[in-house]
Amino acid sequence: MQQLRRDPILGRWIIVQEEKQISPDDYIEQSVGAKQLGKFCPFCVGNEDKSPPDIFVDKTPDQDNNSLWNLRVIANKFPALRVEGDLDRQGIGIYDQMNGIGAHEVIIETSDHQKDIADLSNEEVSKIIFAYKQRFLDLKQDSRFQYILIFKNHGQSAGASLEHSHSQLIALPIVPKKMKEALRGAEKYYGFKERCVYCDIIDQELESGDRLICENKNFVAFCPFASCTPFEIWILPKKHVSHFYRISEDFICDFSAMLKDVLWRLKKILTDPPFNFIINTAPIQHEQELGFYHWHMQILPKLTRVAGFEWGTGFYINPSPPEQTAKLLREVV
Amino acid sequence: MPQLRKDPIIGRWVIISTERAKRPHDLVIKKISEQCAEKECLFCQGHEAETPDEIYAVRKSKTSANTSDWDVRVLPNINPLMQNSGDLGRRGMGIYDLMNAIGAHELIVETPKHIANIADLDIAQINQVFKVYVQRMQELEKDERIKYVLISKNYGIVAGASPIKHSRTQLIALPVNPKRVKEELAGARRYYEFRERCIFCDMIGHEIEKQARIVDRIDGFIAFAPYASRFPFEVWVLPEEHSADFFNLKNTEGLAKIMKSVMRKLSVSLQDPPYNYIIHTAPFRRMTSPGYWKTIDYDYHWHIEIMPRLTKVAGFELGSGFYINPTPPEIAAEFLNHPQGEKQ
Repeated sequence: MQQLRRDPILGRWIIVQEEKQISPDDYIEQSVGAKQLGKFCPFCVGNEDKSPPDIFVDKTPDQDNNSLWNLRVIANKFPALRVEGDLDRQGIGIYDQMNGIGAHEVIIETSDHQKDIADLSNEEVSKIIFAYKQRFLDLKQDSRFQYILIFKNHGQSAGASLEHSHSQLIALPIVPKKMKEALRGAEKYYGFKERCVYCDIIDQELESGDRLICENKNFVAFCPFASCTPFEIWILPKKHVSHFYRISEDFICDFSAMLKDVLWRLKKILTDPPFNFIINTAPIQHEQELGFYHWHMQILPKLTRVAGFEWGTGFYINPSPPEQTAKLLREVV
Repeated sequence: MPQLRKDPIIGRWVIISTERAKRPHDLVIKKISEQCAEKECLFCQGHEAETPDEIYAVRKSKTSANTSDWDVRVLPNINPLMQNSGDLGRRGMGIYDLMNAIGAHELIVETPKHIANIADLDIAQINQVFKVYVQRMQELEKDERIKYVLISKNYGIVAGASPIKHSRTQLIALPVNPKRVKEELAGARRYYEFRERCIFCDMIGHEIEKQARIVDRIDGFIAFAPYASRFPFEVWVLPEEHSADFFNLKNTEGLAKIMKSVMRKLSVSLQDPPYNYIIHTAPFRRMTSPGYWKTIDYDYHWHIEIMPRLTKVAGFELGSGFYINPTPPEIAAEFLNHPQGEKQ
């Protein structure tokens, strides 16, 4: 019997196909595949003049005291939103409109064209997370912005146009609908129980262990109960914190180690699947800590196709029960 | 300057890139090239014995079930998402909630011939297909467990279809009202409370006055590219006369005419693109269900949303629920109406 599982925060239902035994081989045709050699890449060392100037850079000097960059943050050359100007909200008949103001940046995660996050050292991954934090701290001072979204598209079918490992940042003039819904859902739960729903989820997942992948001192990774895609993974800080940008040095270290570990497991078991990851965090204009919201990273492998049914209902169909995917991910060697 | 446009019904914002507006030839178009040999297709006439027993069929003469000589056939899905028998068994597991997937999952085979795209069927045949949609919804409305019926079409692998090139529609009956439907209903209700008018009727009025986004007006129906289109070349088709429930539709022929015309225009302008279309209709009114309200007949307006699948949904859309649309709907409407101009 198929199950309908309710997402405890968003309230949407997911159809989980319980009986079917899954095999990672079913998904391997989706693999991203080897990177091309010898093709021009604007993100590679030596092509810096072909991309916008650095907004942020991490460098280490080599033996000859020339500095080489490890990571660069640049403006997106084809931005979805523009930084300059005012919002200028207006109505046109029954419709509403405003100017597309926002920031759109690209984080080039490594100078090595051949490597993905899963192949980097923990220290190198820490540099990425540190860069995210720095960009948050800088952009949150601009009062036109209400939300900062950090995400990654890996592989063409997940929307990546360049194969050199990178993530993106978009600062938005509004809190996006999806975030509002999550905040509303979490606040409702808090109003009822006076506890954070994410803290409760962490407790239940650590206790049952059915969907747990791994944990370290400060973080935990598991496949959520109502996973909307096969092999969906959440990474959360064990301690309640609502804003990502408050992440301390210790936490960056633990978070990076776990992110690398989890992406490595995914890469290994599904032979480099396309995926998206997203950092979900409280809106930047709420300066104080929110008792009901808990920042986390959501990793969504792109293994199934969204069809009319999902578009029409907001229901997702997940052919792989998270208990099975978690077990596979736990046992990767 | 890119624009942020707000969907007036559900409040979702869409980024419309006005500067680097993409014309049809700029969009990466995945042609529907998957082929399936005619003799292997179970949906073709002559293969009735190889499919599960039909649920319903439109037959030319009084031939018996599961034989040839049919126009439209409804089959149970071989791998159903929702099952017919049993009860919901709503329950909790710690802080989580779950229930059994009770409902129905049917496949509407639109033609006995091996034709892939509904745009290539004749109007009389499309009319038969829509009559079957109406009949199935009326039938499923009688089942007390079912709250909502979603009729949707996936054309092309990118749009989620299997590689069999035989035109068909999916019908899924659900025991709960889906979130996406609830949002639309709530948006329409809010507007009605404020203005005492249907928001869809107001949109139709506005579009007719502006003319900039209209794709077709035929026989009591209107088709336009919506103001806050999420996707390039998104088109909505609505009855001009207010009606909340698709299953009350009488003028199926009018709908067949406009759908044929719109689907042809999309097929010609975008060279046979993959697409989804979805019928948005009011949920079955169960007076006993919590949250039932009385104005739904007045505030909601059924319609069909057609979404060509030309762009990829990536991390940004997943994380924010925000869409980026590189083709302003005004340009899309113009190209659909003048596909010849595109070539010059």
